[in-house]
Amino acid sequence: MIARPHTPVVRSGISYWVDSYRTMVRFELINLRTFLAVALVIQVMTGAGMAYLYGFYMGDMPVTAQLFIVTGIPALALVPIGLVMVPGSIMLHKIRDTYDFIWSLPVPRMTSAAATFTVFTGLALPGTLIALLVADVYYDVTLQWSWLFVPAVLLTSLMATSVGFAVAHAIPEPRYTNLLTNIVMFMAILFAPIVVPIAQFPEWWASVHRVLPFYHMAQVIRDSLSDGLVESAGASWAMLSVWTVVAWLLAGWVVGRRK
Amino acid sequence: MTVANAAALPAKRAGVGHWMSSYRAMLRWQLTDMRLLLPMTVLVQLLSGVGLVIGFGLLIPEMTQRLALYLSTGAVVVSLVIVGVIMGPQLIAQQKASGSYDFMWSLPVPRSSASAAWVTLNASIAIPGMLGALVAAILRYDVAFDVTLMVVPAVGLTLLTGTLLGYALAHGIPKPDITQLISQLLIFVIFGFSPVSYPIENLPGWLATVNEYLPFYPMANVVRDSLTDGIATNVGRSYLVLSIWAVLASVISAAVLRRRK
Repeated sequence: MIARPHTPVVRSGISYWVDSYRTMVRFELINLRTFLAVALVIQVMTGAGMAYLYGFYMGDMPVTAQLFIVTGIPALALVPIGLVMVPGSIMLHKIRDTYDFIWSLPVPRMTSAAATFTVFTGLALPGTLIALLVADVYYDVTLQWSWLFVPAVLLTSLMATSVGFAVAHAIPEPRYTNLLTNIVMFMAILFAPIVVPIAQFPEWWASVHRVLPFYHMAQVIRDSLSDGLVESAGASWAMLSVWTVVAWLLAGWVVGRRK
Repeated sequence: MTVANAAALPAKRAGVGHWMSSYRAMLRWQLTDMRLLLPMTVLVQLLSGVGLVIGFGLLIPEMTQRLALYLSTGAVVVSLVIVGVIMGPQLIAQQKASGSYDFMWSLPVPRSSASAAWVTLNASIAIPGMLGALVAAILRYDVAFDVTLMVVPAVGLTLLTGTLLGYALAHGIPKPDITQLISQLLIFVIFGFSPVSYPIENLPGWLATVNEYLPFYPMANVVRDSLTDGIATNVGRSYLVLSIWAVLASVISAAVLRRRK
């Protein structure tokens, strides 16, 4: 009787992929556990804090202006997660030299990417909702909730996470990523039509924002929370989808690359 | 013969002459130390000062002369304190984290000359930033400033209090992580929750009261008083509160400077 030699698991197929994906989600959650708590605090502070702060700067505002601020807050709260914390977590791996280790794990690399998208997209939801509720309480406006709010927040969050992921992997030097995320925050808070109508911006700057994602993030969410502020959000849905797909293509290329 | 003997002795480490030459040496030291950071610092200054003036201008639909004056004088104050209160403590926290902090204190110069050099360096970075914010405001909103001689004590006191506060914060707190955290929080406090760039009436009552006792609103109020006409009120009280903070920060800084391990 000769014992049958131990056969290694076949490393391909859908069930293997799903299995690896589940493992990587767990891995990411455990790996980032303290980071995730900090992220939630930062997100609520950015979202809700900025809601108060805009009010302090602008003083008495007409109801429409207040409604613009409140409906812009969810998009503003999603920027720090996708475009700052995601690149930050990848940057940390590079600085601590654990980056190559992650890639050496015996799972398909795309499952690692998919796990990052899942964890951060999910993480962004409670903070976004809290920020929106805090803003809603502070300002005296009535929101017109529609079911579109859920897909709007999910797509916005997925887009931001994907872009943050792709860019952080594509830029080899973590310090440049850090500089870039600071610029992004600054742009989102002061120079983007997230909490104000785009018509208020000079024409050339408004056309820049028709290409950048910030304006579209705000538009799809605003459309799902109000009546009459957004004429048509179709173009914004399309733009966000384009940004997401381009980010995935970039991520696919960067992740598939070998040294 | 006596001349040769005197030359063999080490230089005397006391007196005004020694202090002055130590001060010059430390100024050169700190400039050299910061040479790579200086472009970044200037960028932060420009973004925070000019960016504040222009950025909020984009967000506020109908800019009035009064609001423009608030924004631009607020930007001046932010330029004056951002290096001292926020960047300074972060630099020192990094020195502590990387272990070069004790080496700095071991240099054979009076510690007070090192802090005087830091105040000087801060002023020379902050004042161009302040002028940039003023020029941006004039170009963008066509605001009319009404500059009085009070600008000298107002800017001087703001700069000194800001730098000393940052100094006390950086040297007084042993853990660099906590210093980093506080300075991050202060960014929020200065930009958002202190009426530096907007009228204090915009705040809810209790927050306005808190700000009467914190240093940032008085800084803005005295600077606003020296640059504009008629929008700053209760300036005497602001000078008083600010002076108390300046004294407090100097006492803490002095205590920290004298401390030995």
